[in-house]
Amino acid sequence: MNRAPLIFLGVFFTLAFSWTGIVLTNQLAYGKLEPVYDESEAKAFPQSVPGIAAQGKLVYQDLGCIYCHTQQVRRPGFGGDIDRGWGDRQSVARDYIRERRVLLGTMRTGPDLRNIGARQAGEGGREWHIRHMYDPQITSPGSIMPSFKYLFETRKIVGEPSPKAVQRLLPASAQPKTGYEVVLTERGDALIEYLLSLKDTYNYPEEASRVYVEPKNEEKKSEHPGEAVKPEKHP
Amino acid sequence: MASASSLAASISPGTPADTVPRAELSEIDDSTKSPALFFLCSAILWLLVGTAFAVISSWKLHSPEFLNQWEWLTFGRARTAHLNTVVYGWAVNASFAVSLWIMARLSRSVVRHSGILMLAGAFWNIGLTVGIIGILAGDSTSVEWLEIPPYATPMLFIAYALIGGWTVVTFRFGKSEHIYVSQWYLLAAFFWFPWLYSVAQIMLIFAPARGTVQSLVNWWFAHNVLGLWLTPVGLAAVYYFLPKVLGKPIHSYYLSVLGFWSLALFYNWAGMHHLIGGPVPAWVLTAGIAASFMMVIPVVVTGINHHLTMVGSFHMLKYSPTLRFIVFGAVNYTLSSLLGSTMADRNVSEVVHFTHAIVGHSHHGLYAFFTMVMFGSIYYMLPRILRKEWPSAMLISIHFWTTAVGVIVMVIALSVVGAREGLEMNNANIPFIDVVKHTVAGLELRSYSGMLMTVGHIAFAVNFLWMLLKPRTAQNSEPTLFRQPTPDLETAAQ
Amino acid sequence: MSAQDPKKPNPKIEQAGASDQNIQRVHATLLREKAEPSEGYSPMPLFVLGFVSAMIFFVAVYFVHHRGGIGPDFSFKQAALVYDERYDPATAPGAGAAKELTPEQIIAAGKKAFSTCATCHQPTGLGIPGTYPPLAKSEWVNGSEDRVIRILLNGLSGEVTVEGHKFNGLMPAFGKVPGGGYNWTDERISQVLTYVRQEWGNTGGPISAEKVKSIREEVAGARPNAWTEAELLAVP
Repeated sequence: MNRAPLIFLGVFFTLAFSWTGIVLTNQLAYGKLEPVYDESEAKAFPQSVPGIAAQGKLVYQDLGCIYCHTQQVRRPGFGGDIDRGWGDRQSVARDYIRERRVLLGTMRTGPDLRNIGARQAGEGGREWHIRHMYDPQITSPGSIMPSFKYLFETRKIVGEPSPKAVQRLLPASAQPKTGYEVVLTERGDALIEYLLSLKDTYNYPEEASRVYVEPKNEEKKSEHPGEAVKPEKHP
Repeated sequence: MASASSLAASISPGTPADTVPRAELSEIDDSTKSPALFFLCSAILWLLVGTAFAVISSWKLHSPEFLNQWEWLTFGRARTAHLNTVVYGWAVNASFAVSLWIMARLSRSVVRHSGILMLAGAFWNIGLTVGIIGILAGDSTSVEWLEIPPYATPMLFIAYALIGGWTVVTFRFGKSEHIYVSQWYLLAAFFWFPWLYSVAQIMLIFAPARGTVQSLVNWWFAHNVLGLWLTPVGLAAVYYFLPKVLGKPIHSYYLSVLGFWSLALFYNWAGMHHLIGGPVPAWVLTAGIAASFMMVIPVVVTGINHHLTMVGSFHMLKYSPTLRFIVFGAVNYTLSSLLGSTMADRNVSEVVHFTHAIVGHSHHGLYAFFTMVMFGSIYYMLPRILRKEWPSAMLISIHFWTTAVGVIVMVIALSVVGAREGLEMNNANIPFIDVVKHTVAGLELRSYSGMLMTVGHIAFAVNFLWMLLKPRTAQNSEPTLFRQPTPDLETAAQ
Repeated sequence: MSAQDPKKPNPKIEQAGASDQNIQRVHATLLREKAEPSEGYSPMPLFVLGFVSAMIFFVAVYFVHHRGGIGPDFSFKQAALVYDERYDPATAPGAGAAKELTPEQIIAAGKKAFSTCATCHQPTGLGIPGTYPPLAKSEWVNGSEDRVIRILLNGLSGEVTVEGHKFNGLMPAFGKVPGGGYNWTDERISQVLTYVRQEWGNTGGPISAEKVKSIREEVAGARPNAWTEAELLAVP
């Protein structure tokens, strides 16, 4: 029995070690990161997500979108994220400081969504999302994403047809009978607003300066002058 | 003790000297019967529920129109329900049963007032049920491994406090003076889990940290559920049942010590490898990767210890169900951990991160190691608790082969699919939709292997229920083995 | 049922470890069981120690090479913003260091900054008659660097004559001024001036950040207020 206190101490200090190093140190180091004010744009970045998009984020969470989609762009040269156009730059911690729930995700059954608002933007983007949510096969044949038809509702047209009716975007099989129209539910509308809001466009100066600079290497000059030399992969 | 055995011998001269410790064990088993049985029934029920969610989720992945009209069963919720039922329903309840039983036996401590444990177990199950329904209803917190909504988690916490506390009390009031290696692991696991869980609940749910500090806490927590709870419980079980069934001591106490302390030191930093490439400080990731590399030490050391204990007795795998499940589990502990250390390397992570290979790896550890070890443990425990034997060796055999083959096929399928997926995803010339299409065949194979495993679970549950219900007879004294040991080989107690 | 009933120990009989009934009831399953597990004491194989030492060494080297900046001169707080494990604070540019921009990049940056100026001076650079002077072909813009930098730093108020026309407006300060100012960096001021001085047919040359810095130091402390035309004309 006299070994028990020793076991307890050891077990305590081993977990305390990682708790201090991973949790406490980082909470102290960057747990109070502030937005950066940019004078030329007269805005603070990152920006808050507008109201309905914040509601849409809750829909994103409750439907479990994180289990197929990530929201983190890896740095250029590490993985194909930047090459695929999923972002202009690596995602940094400051991008997430306004989020009560950080949704980095760990699976890419579907593409990364951090900058989906930059890829599918404006009215064209909204229409794409409407089609995609209704049935992913419309925009992406062969996709394994389930359809989210319950984010839409068919309702009787009262008076004038609503400007928000979306059946014009949907295939023939989805057309409602005469006198009815298809609209997004509140949840569907909010979710699409959220997706349209996802873009990290600002380049934080402090983070931008903490990049790795390739050591200048004369022997690595390419045969073709003017062609960029592929950066050496560091193990 | 000597005088007691001589007293026993004076009453009945034929009583062997070790009957008194056996009688003591019998008494201890008796005292653990109600709570252990409660936890095991819960565990097996949750296993069936979790398996159902597993098959549904797996099918939805390659056939997305499956059951698609029901919002409550959308993949994002079904998969979450699967994870939480198998981890907090099956794995944790099985852990409670097995650790309580092992701790009571090793501490030589009778469990008193076990009604409290059953109450706590009921709380746990109620909390979990409320939580799972909440997830299906859309109240998931969307924090991986912590999705149970905050209205259900306090019940889990209270239940755990009671069960954990009781296990430590059982240890404290035991008569055993030596603390055996399984007890180190169990004491450590029961201490570590509430710390992890509280920090995670506070910093992620109740007072969320700012920005990606959340991600660090999330993966410190989630990986440590695997590393500092499930793995120690699994290893404690292997360290108990392996020498017990073989009738040999563990090869080297010194290897056990090294294995335990190196695991304690390194495992809890390794969780950072889930964030490689992500928006968290690079030094933390390197620390996590370094720790993942260092995990090779406890894994290899423990593997050597187990192997050298087993050497000379491999033939017993032919007939002992317990041994077969335990050894299968222990071998896969070594394999999945070594693969995990490899995947932590940045160059490998660059390919496999975000792919189905990671799902394969997690099933390798959680199922091929932990769950199989729990199956083996249950096959040994129940005859001692119920004083009956397992009714059907055939069902045990079905259970073993379907689950063993099923999980191996699943892990290989997902790893191959994931490796290809990762390589193609990093090649921007390949359209993303094609990357997805190439995974479908492997995902279908995973569904089939999962269905095979479901058959095994059903066989197990049927055997379990049959055993519970069948009457206890004097004839039931032969262990249920795969085949009878031949006379020239050493007889194994199941 | 407990082995010893602690409430009634019979001092005359030494209590057995288990009651008589229990001894007889030990069932077949338990009787055939092997002994409880125990540890053997085989010595640790030497290669294990060697292996452990090698692992510690190599992983330590790995950590040092990929430490993402942390070290004696680089705090955790600073390292928290380093996302590249290859980063080395000794060789990397600091947060305030000027990045080497090509002339095209300077003009592009200046154009981006100019969007603020365009609210008054108009995107065409033609200004608003009577209030905001034009920048296109303006003698002020193309002339003395010292004057135009001062205007940017501290602003301009009162009447000013540009290309023969009078303008009376208030240009805010773009440098740092107590209680105000856009607080633009030297780089940004130099970039926007460089842009304006080559746009719309302007012929002024580029202005360097160092020049802005030196002017800023020259007027520091002495000028909380915006310049007037008279004061500026006094500057060469």
